[in-house]
Amino acid sequence: MLKKIVIDEISQLTAVLMEMGTLIAPVKEISGHNFMEIADPGQVDLDFYNTIMSPKSAFFPQKEDFVRYKTAEKLSAAETVLLDTKPVFLFGVRPCDVKSFQIMDIHFNHAGIIDPYWHHRRESTTIFGYAFDLDKPVDPADFYNTLGISASDPEGSDIFMVKKEKELLLKSITHKGEKLLAQLSALTSATSGDEQYYEEYLQRGKDYKTRFTSVDPEAIALELEDVFENTDFWKEISSACLSCGVCTFVCPTCYCFDICDDTLFSKGTRRRVWDACMFTDFTLEASGHNPRTQVYQRLRQKFCHKYSFHIRKYGVISCVGCGRCTRSCPVNIDIFAFVNIATRAKWYQRL
Amino acid sequence: MIRFKQIEERLKKEAKILLESGEVTVVLAYGKGYDEKHPMPYAAKKIADVEDLVFNEYCNHNMARYLVRYPQGTKIAIAVKAADSRAVVQLIQEEKVKRDDLVLLGIPIHGMKDPRTGEVIDGKTTCGMYTPVLYDVLLNDDVHGHKISPYDVLAKYEAMDKDERWEFWKKELDKCIRCYACRKACPMCYCDPCFIDQSKPKWADKAPQSPGNMMYHLTRFHHLAGRCVDCGECSRACPVNIPLYLFHKKVAKECEEMFHQKAGMSIEDKPVLIDFRVEDSDKILE
Repeated sequence: MLKKIVIDEISQLTAVLMEMGTLIAPVKEISGHNFMEIADPGQVDLDFYNTIMSPKSAFFPQKEDFVRYKTAEKLSAAETVLLDTKPVFLFGVRPCDVKSFQIMDIHFNHAGIIDPYWHHRRESTTIFGYAFDLDKPVDPADFYNTLGISASDPEGSDIFMVKKEKELLLKSITHKGEKLLAQLSALTSATSGDEQYYEEYLQRGKDYKTRFTSVDPEAIALELEDVFENTDFWKEISSACLSCGVCTFVCPTCYCFDICDDTLFSKGTRRRVWDACMFTDFTLEASGHNPRTQVYQRLRQKFCHKYSFHIRKYGVISCVGCGRCTRSCPVNIDIFAFVNIATRAKWYQRL
Repeated sequence: MIRFKQIEERLKKEAKILLESGEVTVVLAYGKGYDEKHPMPYAAKKIADVEDLVFNEYCNHNMARYLVRYPQGTKIAIAVKAADSRAVVQLIQEEKVKRDDLVLLGIPIHGMKDPRTGEVIDGKTTCGMYTPVLYDVLLNDDVHGHKISPYDVLAKYEAMDKDERWEFWKKELDKCIRCYACRKACPMCYCDPCFIDQSKPKWADKAPQSPGNMMYHLTRFHHLAGRCVDCGECSRACPVNIPLYLFHKKVAKECEEMFHQKAGMSIEDKPVLIDFRVEDSDKILE
């Protein structure tokens, strides 16, 4: 089913979605766009390239409270923080970010233990994918083509949106999306011309080129295993790295977290917060020993996790090429440049 | 008009001489990034590396940040702009590096730009000086940018009263995602471990929300009192654009008024908060 709405009248659509549940959509802030829970339908702003932070926080918030307790009371008196059961609409997600949810599903939804928080949120969320604007230049940091994702790839979305001049075309992809689309009275029916435009747009998206290098997961995993012990190489790669956590926090596929008890006077909360392999205390053991004290060890962990260990364990690269880590890096470290060299056989021997 | 290409050539020339003669083992300067707007901090160790050095208007990074990574005694040449040279001086004052181990390649410059916004950073997020305070070689002729006081940008902030300031910082610091890029980009933040990483005692929550964020930033602001050289790297490193420079500038201004000394101006100085002088202002006790 294909429907449409005039972009300037988007607040009519967003108002309806807000009545039906929680709406999470891009909002313009001073520093750029970010996904936020919408309080006022007019806040939604679709005139963006991509958000600073990835939309992973819709399913995996930076801070997730589990249990609230009082220190003097019995354990049984602690109360569990209940999950919000309202339906969620995640609006305006770029195709590369939609793919990231499938990678995150491996950890939170498939491999052994299912994370109830992630699982529940995934179930109750309808994803509105949004194709990149093909008339605007591609950001030099992006490289999602390298990971086999196009600028207008509808796969993974429930409803996929495409911009047609001043209108927004909405196409249902899944059954869930179709059911919702039929309910939304703010939308009007699309013409056959719109149908054609939509199909052509998906095709045109394949010609919208980001940086590209041909990556064979098996080969790159092997290469990185080979070079793992080459300390000089990693020291050189990481010589500029500040070892801050920006790249991991903005990344849509980084999922490391810490569980901590935050107590103030007698009241406390057990919660999960994002953690990052770039922090020194991330690997600090209770004994006081820290296996990764050097910057090069931490950066090696990050790159190898995405482009080697993850392939070995789950068969896929844990990166979607959204370019956020490169864009936000204070010292402009570019993971693509690294991948680019790593795809060449025995590249490190030439160093 | 600044001739960046010419500075780059001189930088390469000096770096080559220093590496060839063995006077230094590493040259800290700038290298190519993924495009022209995004150069990277670069450590040239081999003579062949020298060809990869670049210098353009986006080379904002404060290379003094990397000095403490090398073991003491390593002979290092470092490219410094005005604020960066002050950071080096401050590090010498704090005995983290030795003057004799360093060769400072001074770059008098103005009109450096922030790659994110494209705006000129002179005086706004940097210290408003154009010529390094300490150098062995100058890679450019003296430049004369606009005379700006580094504290001009404080006007709006200073007009706020106590409550407004509290509200302002509460709002700004709520944005913080605790990636610690500010502390990692800062040349003066070299504590290992940083108080915020300690778990015994635990000084603040890990969650990115008000009490923990406040604790982290306010403590960091005060740890840098009288030491911040106003290079503005913290603010440029911040992914969510928190104007950290405002607080640092305000504290620096008050320190200057109280102790008549700016951070990192001379290697003969002692850090203001370490040095006790009988004539020191009592204002700090009020």
